[in-house]
Amino acid sequence: MGVAVVKPQGLGRRVSPGLLLVFGLLSVALVATVVWAVWKEARAEWRVWQGRYAALEAGAPVTAEDGARGLQQIWLPDLDRVDRCTSCHLGIAEPERAGAPQPFRAHPGRWLEIHRPDRYGCTACHGGQGEATSYRGAAHGPIPYWPEPMASRELMEARCGTCHRERRPKGTDWLARGRALMADRNCTACHEVPGHDAAEVRAPRLDGLALKVPPSWLRGWLKKPNGYLPKSRMGDFRLSERDVEALAAFLLQPHGKLALDRTDWSKADTEKGGELFRASRCVTCHEVNGRGGTLAPALTHVGAKASRDWLYSWIRDPHRFQPKTLMPRFQFRDDEARDLAAYLSSEYGEAPEGFQASDAAPSPALAEEGRGIYEKRGCYSCHELEGFPALARIGPKLAAIGDRVLEPAPLVARGIRTTLPNWLFTKVSGPERVLDAARMPTFGFAEDEAAAVTVALLSLRAREAPPARTTRDPVRVPPAYGSPTSGGKPYEPQGEFGALVRRYRCLSCHTIGGSGHVTATGAPLSTVRLDRIGSQLTREHLERYIAKPYGVRVALPERMPHLNVAPEEARTLAAYLSTVMVDDAIEGTVPVDAVTVARGKQLFDRHGCVGCHIVGDKGGYVGPDLNGCGARLKPGWAVAWLLEPERWKPGTLEPDHGLTRPEAEALTAYVLSLPARKAKGAGR
Amino acid sequence: MINDIARRLWLSVFRVGWPRTRQTRVEAMLSSFVLHVHPTWVRVHALRPTYTLGLGLVSFYLFLVLTVTGLALMLYYVPHPDAAYRSMKDLEYAVTFGMFLRNAHRWAAHGMVAVVFLHMCRVFLTGAYKAPREFNWVVGVLLLLLTLALSFTGYLLPWDQLAYWAITVGTAIVAYFPVLGPQVRYLLLGGHEIGAAALLRFYVLHCLVLPLAMAFLVALHFWRVRKDGGLSAPPGRLHRRVLAWPHLVFRELLVLVLVLVVIHAAALLFDAPLEEIADATRTPNPAKAPWYFLGLQELVRYGAIFGGVVVPTGLVLALLLLPYLDTHPRGVGVWFAPERRTANAVFVAIALAVVAVTIVGTFFRGPNWAWVWPW
Repeated sequence: MGVAVVKPQGLGRRVSPGLLLVFGLLSVALVATVVWAVWKEARAEWRVWQGRYAALEAGAPVTAEDGARGLQQIWLPDLDRVDRCTSCHLGIAEPERAGAPQPFRAHPGRWLEIHRPDRYGCTACHGGQGEATSYRGAAHGPIPYWPEPMASRELMEARCGTCHRERRPKGTDWLARGRALMADRNCTACHEVPGHDAAEVRAPRLDGLALKVPPSWLRGWLKKPNGYLPKSRMGDFRLSERDVEALAAFLLQPHGKLALDRTDWSKADTEKGGELFRASRCVTCHEVNGRGGTLAPALTHVGAKASRDWLYSWIRDPHRFQPKTLMPRFQFRDDEARDLAAYLSSEYGEAPEGFQASDAAPSPALAEEGRGIYEKRGCYSCHELEGFPALARIGPKLAAIGDRVLEPAPLVARGIRTTLPNWLFTKVSGPERVLDAARMPTFGFAEDEAAAVTVALLSLRAREAPPARTTRDPVRVPPAYGSPTSGGKPYEPQGEFGALVRRYRCLSCHTIGGSGHVTATGAPLSTVRLDRIGSQLTREHLERYIAKPYGVRVALPERMPHLNVAPEEARTLAAYLSTVMVDDAIEGTVPVDAVTVARGKQLFDRHGCVGCHIVGDKGGYVGPDLNGCGARLKPGWAVAWLLEPERWKPGTLEPDHGLTRPEAEALTAYVLSLPARKAKGAGR
Repeated sequence: MINDIARRLWLSVFRVGWPRTRQTRVEAMLSSFVLHVHPTWVRVHALRPTYTLGLGLVSFYLFLVLTVTGLALMLYYVPHPDAAYRSMKDLEYAVTFGMFLRNAHRWAAHGMVAVVFLHMCRVFLTGAYKAPREFNWVVGVLLLLLTLALSFTGYLLPWDQLAYWAITVGTAIVAYFPVLGPQVRYLLLGGHEIGAAALLRFYVLHCLVLPLAMAFLVALHFWRVRKDGGLSAPPGRLHRRVLAWPHLVFRELLVLVLVLVVIHAAALLFDAPLEEIADATRTPNPAKAPWYFLGLQELVRYGAIFGGVVVPTGLVLALLLLPYLDTHPRGVGVWFAPERRTANAVFVAIALAVVAVTIVGTFFRGPNWAWVWPW
């Protein structure tokens, strides 16, 4: 192919003007896009805000670092967070910006003093996308593809709960309530929940149920537990009539080998029973007619539930029926037990609506079907039953529930808004609203209760905070009632003392070395820890008090029940407590010369102690009566207490007056010298 | 004085002055490293935009754009599961021009897949693969495969859900190949799961191995264009020729500016997607491969061996063997030559089918790969 040199037509020596024009236009467009890119970068949101902040500050004195401001970030490697929020929120840590317009306003409250921004950043508490430098990108509201938008004010406490793993984190309201409710309703029986023990509530064993309850009561209970106990911990399982019959048939079969004690009811004296009921302070744990404690079930309608013979047998020895019960075995005589049972039966025998007696027993033919329901609905999760194995937990783990990703379609079909908080709230309020075949019972939470539980659940995140960042309650284990003692840790009382502790169920209210029952709020019922009680109280007082307790702090609703401990048992207990349960560091004496006592009196008056404590016939009811307390308190303890009340009992009402040791000793010398009140006798 | 130095500097680099005369224009093309890949004289036919549509050139420019933006992105990107996603966030929010770079890279990459495909269509429909250009067609097919491989390996790097599951699906299709499939997948991922090893391998392939291979084959492709007698043209005609300087060089520059304007505008207007961080425990429904493999994924639904093995292997083999099977010498250098009616019809049908299944897989498939309407 030869090279053809032809005079080109159209394509001359030069590029055509039309093409040049196109090129020129494209070049202009190219320059324009470059300028556009630079402008976009220069007008980035954070740069604009920094400019406005500089203008805001123009009136204020300019500090050295104002010139050097650029993209700000807080890097927290252990939390795997990079927070650039302060690139725009420039006044967040400047108190003088309290009234500034957003995004420059100072952080409200004193939160940044407790959680310094350089150590905690922003998103660890607030959520949102810390890396972002734009309003939208920061996920101030929900945005696609960022799973953690900023928490709304209502759900803020859920964020606190990721690091604050205590049952009642300080300063929280919803979170603490939610966690308490979760413990109270025994969520952990069916779900594994971090920070909660396996079974928080001791639901009764169901052996020998036929000896205890009539079919009418059982039917009513299975249909509507809160018809009998308004504060029932057991939820409504939404059972059909047939399921109720079948389950009742199964439960009323003879399980276990229990038998009832018999007594002659013609000799029963309900009057005496009533006196005993009051003297024994049963209401410390049991509620009647809406008043009383919460540690044990209400007795308002107990006569409609439990047979007289069962009540009698139970009062004589509760541990035979429920080895793990918190209830002490009171030292009653048989006639006392009979009177008490008769009193409960007659005084509280009225059946609530829906629990009236009906003669028909459920058909035994349904028992096998009932067994299936018992298993399917996970009854065994809370209740033990002879011959029925404890199976695996029935519900899913809740460990990462706060990061659960929802499958929206089924929720949309039911008209449920598909946000995680809303789904949780709906499920907690009524599981059947989310899923027809839900196995979870309806706990009948009020709206605010369901919201609190939702907050508590949202605090359970897929990625837990690193241990160095979390705070937890001290380890507490439930008392080892009804199971063989292992001598293991934490403290488990042994020997004669241990047997008495178990009989009188001391650890239902008190703790020793982290062992003891805690209520749903995460604290034991009694504020008196027994760990150093031998250094706090005199041996004589301990012995007297255990044998015949009385109210030391008059204003306190919970009082030690009258257990009728035998004198030699009280001696054993007191001897053990005052020799073993001691803390050498607080043992000691104080000078008791007249000068010191007089000085103590001055201090006593100056600090207004009588505002809370009774001395003579005058004083307040908040603190213990101090008359004759020298027989009760050990001086070393009184000094230690006065010096650092908050150390011994966090949250105590006793003020820390900032006393010096000589002052505390003088005050102790005076207080312990106060004489007993004559009218009340030597016991005070 | 300064003029003198400047002139000497110019001459030392370019050897000739600004090409004004015919002689200097010839010399310019011959003596410049960059320009010598061009012929000195070029057929007017090859300059007609309606003949080439400039697609090969656009492909090359996109490759250049991808190289430049890719190198800049490499300065910020850390190929490890713990850091990759954060790198994306840093680019988006903290790096100056970071998002612009990432957008440009993303859109240029998608554009390159499409343009290379269209370039192949142009070459087929103008019969440009025929002798003596058979081998350059083969090189072109390899370049298409390399383009897909580059795009696919780059797809994993953001380490978000989109990336993770697209690669999961894509490598699952690879594993359908009998005998070798699972082995290749294992080699590609450095294990059975997509994890740190897979990310590193994809990174090395994406940033080093495949671009080098690409650069080599592109050079070969260009060289062959010249050695095979320039761009294809109808044989037997007397072709007018003009000097490459300025006619070809100027047009190339014009296309470059056009490509840059389009990429810049796209990068400024549309942000590259970034979903949640990759999570092996959360499978999106549907999990979709990168869009250019969605045709295959759609076919896999009708039969794993059919869609994953028979169709892709058949297509690639057919493309590679095409110039050696179609030895008919006529119909070169014009669009839709009447002599090639059957061949063109078959090709267009297959190309449209590929586009159609890709569109179906991209827009018409929802959860559980059920049919959905995209509106």
